[in-house]
This record gives sequence, structure tokens and C-alpha cells, in this order.
Amino acid sequence: MASQDSSSFLHLSRPLAAALSATQTSTAPVNVIIQPQALFSILDHSLRRNAEQERVIGTLLGVRSEDGSEVEIRNCFAVGHNESQEQVEVDMDYHKEMLALHLKANPKEVLVGWYATSPELNTFSALIQNFYASQGDGTYPHPAIHLTLSTQPGKDIAINTYISAPVGVTADRASDSCLFLPVPHEIRYQDAEKAGLETIASAKDSEDRNAPVYNDVFALEKAVQDTLDMIERVSNYVGQVIDGDIAPNNTLGRFLLSTLALAPKVSPADLERMFNTHIQDVLLVAYLANTIRTQIDLSNRLALHAFAKEEPKPTTTPATTTTAPASK
Amino acid sequence: MADKVATPPTGPLKGVRVDALVVMKITKHCASSHPTLVTGQLLGLEQDNYLHVTHSFAFPTVEAQPDNSFEGSDKTTSSNAAAPRAKSSAWYQTQMVDCLKLINVDANVVGWYQSANLGSFLNKDLVENQFFYQTNTTYNERTVVLVHDVAKSAQGSLGLRAFRLTKEFIAARKEDKFTSESLVKHKLTYQNILEEIPVTIHNSHLVTSFVHQLSTPPKPLPAPSLAHLLQQVHSQPSALPAPLYPNFDSLELAIDPFLEKTAENLLESIETHHTELNNTQYHQRQLAREQAKIAAWQVKRKAENVSRAATKQELLPEDEWQKLFKLPQEPSRLESLLNSRQIEQYAKQTDGFAATVSAKMFGVYGGLQAEM
Repeated sequence: MASQDSSSFLHLSRPLAAALSATQTSTAPVNVIIQPQALFSILDHSLRRNAEQERVIGTLLGVRSEDGSEVEIRNCFAVGHNESQEQVEVDMDYHKEMLALHLKANPKEVLVGWYATSPELNTFSALIQNFYASQGDGTYPHPAIHLTLSTQPGKDIAINTYISAPVGVTADRASDSCLFLPVPHEIRYQDAEKAGLETIASAKDSEDRNAPVYNDVFALEKAVQDTLDMIERVSNYVGQVIDGDIAPNNTLGRFLLSTLALAPKVSPADLERMFNTHIQDVLLVAYLANTIRTQIDLSNRLALHAFAKEEPKPTTTPATTTTAPASK
Repeated sequence: MADKVATPPTGPLKGVRVDALVVMKITKHCASSHPTLVTGQLLGLEQDNYLHVTHSFAFPTVEAQPDNSFEGSDKTTSSNAAAPRAKSSAWYQTQMVDCLKLINVDANVVGWYQSANLGSFLNKDLVENQFFYQTNTTYNERTVVLVHDVAKSAQGSLGLRAFRLTKEFIAARKEDKFTSESLVKHKLTYQNILEEIPVTIHNSHLVTSFVHQLSTPPKPLPAPSLAHLLQQVHSQPSALPAPLYPNFDSLELAIDPFLEKTAENLLESIETHHTELNNTQYHQRQLAREQAKIAAWQVKRKAENVSRAATKQELLPEDEWQKLFKLPQEPSRLESLLNSRQIEQYAKQTDGFAATVSAKMFGVYGGLQAEM
């Protein structure tokens, strides 16, 4: 629980005045879902900050569930700002312009909050938070999400999400103070992003931080290799349990048993038949596709040849190899 | 960084290095509006003949007109596909680039991206857009198009490919003539319209550390919580966070939807090919007919001249046929070229798919047989 005012007030989340309470209809905890794209964007922005800047901020975009209890952060963009001991300056025109541009390309993604690349919450955080949660340009009537992501060298990248409650003794003070309430968050990615993330993750151990984009056969080989590794791990564990090196775990055993039971039982005749029909389908389509390719190649060569005849030198077309489907 | 000028072109592009952020941005944008075609801009810079793509943004999609719902979707797709070279999005592009420049993004256009579905991206729009980019003077000539295949990525391996138009095609397109003659002249075949450039993925240091952090759990799980975890697996298997890696989608055995779709696409392309063939044949017949007419006219004129010469009359000019007859224009071969390339693409894709799928099937067969 982080409140920025270090003076000896008692901070309570309570409605101050009618006007203020109206700006924050709900301070109920929300569940925040972060898509990796937004995180990568923030990390990139953090790398591109000006040398003297401690932290950078930006606007979070995303979608809200209908009852407002779940917020999915899907996108974000950076906003320039200047911070000194006494004051903070956020480029609001820039924020508005970018928001408009983003809305044009992605009308579904609306303003949900803002991010900062330092774990610290201070008075300026409260000011900015109040701006993002305000009526009109802000997220009103929904609470604005504040996401902090620390990018300090040598430490883990810590992600925290907050919503805020109004706090302060007078209406004047309320504008530059608020109570940040931590809310749970999770990183969730979609199926379509899995392949991309996998490729990104495959580069994590390479020294130059590069990874080639694999083709299908390589991907298959890798997946088979990974599966073999996992089987190896499990059989090692089972072997150790049998040898008595590790205390057996009933739940784990049951889980393994039910996994093994998942293997389908088919009669050899059925298996043979299913296998043959399927493999024939695949090979036939591949064969036909290759025949078509040869035909197309032939027709193109003929067309060119007919015209090239008059010329002294025939055109040279790169030789193509047409591979017949491998018959195994 | 923002005003860093790309090094002057010294050799052919050796590769495209795409930042993790751009990969995520593209996959998310393409997948969220699948199967509608979407496009966007790529920003970055060039270094040592490698194109570094470090940022991207989406182009606005065109909303379907509510009143003509029949043509709506079709129209949207075609106008979306043309967005990168459309005048209306030029404003958007400059605005966005200007804005991004302020936050230290490499504000240098290095190309554009588009989504595709099972390799169906070779069409006139792609070629025209890329031609626009490669010949536009405001951009660097060295631009690429990244094609993200959404359906292929869903199968387990990231379908991201980079293309550029070849010099041959640019030369032919500059003359804007795609007759057989010009194809021969430029040595342009369907195989050398586009050249593919190898793509690599690049992570920043922060992303690397972040990915490491994601894949290593904070502390090893003690035994009781393992049991608890397993209980969770039983009650709701989807609730468990799936690891980033490895990804077992490529072990999927369902082959029918993919085969069906590819075969369908292939048939469609063949149909187009057939239409193009008919057009060419029609043109050939027309040409033959006209040429026969001209020959007949020339014979007639010659006979006339002979008789005129006999009667000492003035000879009639023999090249007057050029004014009287007009040879039909040869239809553009561009469409059929692209279509051929598309068919080749489908065929190769099927080939690759057959290879992996038969390997998987033999694996399953072997595994099940060994059990019996």
C-alpha cells in the first residue's frame, strides 16, 4: 500500500465531497491482464529514454470487460514528460494526438491508464494519476490503471499495477494526492502470439540475442526434441522413486497414470486403415500440387519460348526442381 | 538515434533483423483482425546491409460501408490492401512518424507489413505497394515487406517472411508494360518477381532478461504445493499458466482443415490461371485473324499493283495496311505472372506440410504399433 504523502495524516479512502466521489464511482479491485506486446513496448521505451531521465511514462490502451472488473492492457504508447524536484510536465497535447491516431487504427482499444518505468510512487504519480482518471479526457467513470515496471539493472523486472482512491484533507489537496491500491495482474498471451513468443524466447540464450525464424520441419524437430527431454525427465523421476531416492507422491503418480491412459487403444487393423487413408490423402494432395507446379512452369516456359524464338538467344530461366512426394 | 541517416546502399540486403517488439506488434495486429487483411508501417534503420526493424504501427482499417453490405467486406479488404500507397493514409503516416520521432523512435521508414492467410499474399496489391515503397523518393529505396501468415503461425512456427521486388520486375514495372516481349527483354519470369530475404529475431537486453525471468519460477515449488498444483490441473486445466516455451503446437495431428484450405486456394488459383489462359488465347486468335486479313490485303494490293504496272498506272503504296488495320493489344501478363507465383507458393507450402505431416503420422503409427 503506497501513499505518497509522508506527513502524519491518516489516509482513508472516503468520499470527500459530492463532486469528488462522483469522479470515482468504483474503487473495487479490478483484475488486470497485460498482453506481452504492451510490456515489450514499455521495455523498448525504457531503453529509448533520454540519458538524464530517471523514468519515462506513457499511456496504456486496452479493453474493459462489461462490468469493468477486468481490464486487458493491449497496447501502449510513450508520452514525453519532464520531471524535476519541484514540478512535472507532461506533454498532454502529444498524448491527445497519439491517442487520436491510435483510436483511428484500433477503435476498440480505449484509454485505460498509464505506465511509468520506475517502481516509485510519488506526488507526481498522484498528479498524473488524477489526470488520467479525470472526467472528460480521462478514464472516468472507470478507475485508471497505473502500471509500474522497474528496469533497474541487476534486479528483476518487477511489474506492479495499481488503481487509486481519492484521498486528502481538503479538495485542494485531493488533486495532487491519491491512494494507490495494488491490484492483481497477470500476463496473458493469445494463441496466435504463441509462435512469435516462442521464437523470441528461443533467442534468450544466444549471445548476440538473435534467432532465425524456423521453418516447419525445424519447428517439428525442436518440438519432438523437447518432448523427448520431458519424457526423459519424468522417467528419471520415476526411476528415482522406484529406487527409493525420492519420496513418492501419490497425486503425481495418479496424474502420470491418467496421462498414460490417454494413449488411445486401437486395433491393429483400424490403425492400419486409418493410417493408410490419411497418408494417402496427404501424399495425393502433395503430388497433385507438384504436378500443378510443373504444369505452370511448363506453360510459362512455353509462353516465353514462343516469343524468344525470334531472338538470337533464348531466355534463360532458372532451373526448377520438381520433387515428387517422398514415398516412404 | 532518430535522425540517424541510413548508410548509403553498398550491396544487396543480406537480411532483416526484426525486434521482438515488432514481432509482437505485428502478430497482435494481424491476429486481432484476422481474417481481414491489415497493413502497417515498419520503422528502423539500416546497418551493414542488414535492415533493422525496430518499431511499427498499424494503418487505420477502413470500416465497411453499412449500406452495401454485399460488397462491403470485399471492398474493405481491397482498400485495406491498398492502404500503404493510398493518399488518405499518407497523412496518418507522417503524423505518426513525427509523433514517434519525439520519443526517440527510429523515425525512418524501412518498409511495411501485411497479414496473410496460408500463403495467399501474392497479388497485385502487394506488388504495387512494394513498388510504391521501392521507387518512392521520400523513403529509402531499400524497403521490405514483411508478410505475417496468421494461419501458419497458429500451427506452431512463426510465419514471418520478408520480401523485396527484384530489379527485373522494377524495370518492367517502370515501363508499365507486361507484354510477352517486355518479359523476354527483362528476363522476367514468375520466379523472379520477388526475392525473399532471411528474417532473424532480435531481442533487446531488457527483453532478454524479461524472458529469462518469465521462464524461471521465482522459487522451486515445495512438495505440498506441487500436489496443490496438480489438483488445480485436474479441476481446470486451462487455468494453469502455459509456459512460453516450448510450444507443442507443431505436434498437432489435425491435418484436414489445412489441406482442405490449401487445396481450395490452389483450385481458385488454377481457375484464375484458366481465365488468364482464355484471355491470352482469345488475343492470339484475334491476332491471327487480323494478320490473315492483312496478308490477304497485301496480296490483293500486290496483284493490283502488278496490274497497274502492266497498264503503266501509278503504283499504290504497299504499307497502307498499317493505317487500315489495327493489331489488338496484348493483355497484360502481370496477373498471370503473379498467379503463377502464387500457385508455386501454394504448391511449395503443400509440399512442406506433407513432409512434416507424414513424419508425424509415421511417428504416431510407429508409437501405437509398438504398444500392441
